[in-house]
Amino acid sequence: MSNAVEFERVSRHFGETRAVDSVSMQVEEGHFFAMLGPSGSGKTTCLRLISGFERPESGHVKIFGQNSEAVPPNRRPVNTVFQDYALFPHLTVRDNVAYGLMVKGADKSTRHRQADEMLELVKLTGFGSRKPGMLSGGQRQRVALARALVNKPRVLLLDEPLGALDLKLREQMQEELKSIQNQLGITFIYVTHDQGEALSMADRVAVFNEGKIVQEATPREIYERPRTHFVANFVGSSNVLSPTLSVQSGGPSRWMSLRPEAIRLCDPSNSKLKGTLQNIRYLGASNRLSIRFGEEELSVSLPSTEVAPEKGVQVGLTWEEGATHVMDEDH
Amino acid sequence: MELSQPRGLLDQWSDLFWRKKAILLFILLAPPLLWLGVVYIGSLLALLLQSFFSIDEFSGLVNYEFTLKTYGELFLPANYDIILRTVLMAASVSIAAAVIAFPIAYYAARYARGKMKAFFYLAVMMPLWSSYLVKVYAWKLILAKEGILNWAVEGMGASILLNAVLSLPVIGGNSLSVSYIGTFLVFLYVWLPFMILPLQASLERVPLNLIEASDDLGAEKRQTFWHITMPLALPGLIAGSIFTFSLTLGDYIIPQIVGSSRRFIGQAVYQHQGTAGNIPLAAAFAVVPILIMGFYLWMAKRKGAFDAL
Repeated sequence: MSNAVEFERVSRHFGETRAVDSVSMQVEEGHFFAMLGPSGSGKTTCLRLISGFERPESGHVKIFGQNSEAVPPNRRPVNTVFQDYALFPHLTVRDNVAYGLMVKGADKSTRHRQADEMLELVKLTGFGSRKPGMLSGGQRQRVALARALVNKPRVLLLDEPLGALDLKLREQMQEELKSIQNQLGITFIYVTHDQGEALSMADRVAVFNEGKIVQEATPREIYERPRTHFVANFVGSSNVLSPTLSVQSGGPSRWMSLRPEAIRLCDPSNSKLKGTLQNIRYLGASNRLSIRFGEEELSVSLPSTEVAPEKGVQVGLTWEEGATHVMDEDH
Repeated sequence: MELSQPRGLLDQWSDLFWRKKAILLFILLAPPLLWLGVVYIGSLLALLLQSFFSIDEFSGLVNYEFTLKTYGELFLPANYDIILRTVLMAASVSIAAAVIAFPIAYYAARYARGKMKAFFYLAVMMPLWSSYLVKVYAWKLILAKEGILNWAVEGMGASILLNAVLSLPVIGGNSLSVSYIGTFLVFLYVWLPFMILPLQASLERVPLNLIEASDDLGAEKRQTFWHITMPLALPGLIAGSIFTFSLTLGDYIIPQIVGSSRRFIGQAVYQHQGTAGNIPLAAAFAVVPILIMGFYLWMAKRKGAFDAL
């Protein structure tokens, strides 16, 4: 398979701020590629480098193998679903969706037919003659999606498209987006700061921090084998064991990551580590226990069905072989 | 913790206003409404009423009987010419002002920041600070045959061009200061800020991401301009043109100082209610701009100019 988008040591600085700092990555055609990171980590700038609203200071952004620097946004085979949808308020929903066809000169009946087909795909049949102002957040989101997809882009860029929706709607839209991507088979590049969203939808995830990609891998690998402290903390708040603690638990003298849900409580006499139960937070499906070892603290996720011990008692921790993962030490 | 009590009369009032919001609203709105209602709308109605009376040709006295005769007089060739002339002037001033104002307003809304923006506001507003009469007389001197413009044109050896323009029928004349072109230039100068400011405000409110979305969907710059920027800035354009159009329709000083001796509506009103003593005809003339503006707004609304509001 060929690459839809490829970054070759791309940098984009805004004054002193290194928004994107020598980023290299490849997005395979047909993949659902997520760019995950906190705000200001450079992921949105990367998206804008692909859509053409930003130009790299150095390096190359290749779209289907071609250097894109000289190509303006309107001549790229990519379309964007904007964060706040950016629907045209003076046009009806149908005219919004048909806009891309209209500017390319499609006649009225063709573009209205295709727009209505797209509205059907996003389950908004019958909303064509309304104005965007009369729609709910979720419906606007769908219009924005239809408006981008009607142009049959080879790459669809999505900039935190579900950020403004409430939890229930967000989960529903995640499934729909994924199924639309499967159905159309086009490349999705998806920017988000929600790790759950990235893990559940993407084929590949690139984790951004301070303008750089710190890890790029499959969701499972990112979750189970975080390469750095940052990835471990950002993607699902994993525990990080210092080399000292790792040795105590019978591991190597290296920095290690350990998932809270991989840890079990056990009798202190045959445990890997012994610590004091510091705090318990009730999270609904589970309890989050903080356990102290001198200077360090580990969190343990305990299903709510199990009885949590009293605060302040000594507890023993154990885990399966292979639950720990050695990380790059210098991060 | 106890509920605290009002201390003194002022506190009691503010408590009352909190409980009964309508009282505060009434106190705030009554004076301006009284002013608007009685002084402004009242005098406007009095004017309207006057226009339905007529003047007795022999005695020169107003005949207080309901008639449409005075309105009929508006259609006499001499009067009809005045209306047509004024409307054409107001329309050309508005169109020219829009064409000149658009790039300035666009630059100010999209690109000017910090100091440049302050400079923009200053540059646009400053002419409004000086006296209107001073500006008009200054223009008379600039445009006069002995004026600086003529001198500069002669210096550049372009007199032929200026003379060619001045020799045009109707809009030409002996010099710029006694031609329609001169009147037009002064109107344009004096009302231009009233076009720039609302246009700039409406362009500022066009979100940048809509422009990007249009770009992203494959539109060329000119398509984005006509399909997105223009429709969204249209309310500002209409607001600006209402200023330039109605101000030109009503003005009676500029055409008197700069221009040919042919009259505009404002001058006609001025003369009929003053020297000629024909209040009914003056009133009928004064109703014309009101009708034209009403029609203009109705058309603009019908064409969807305010849909983006």
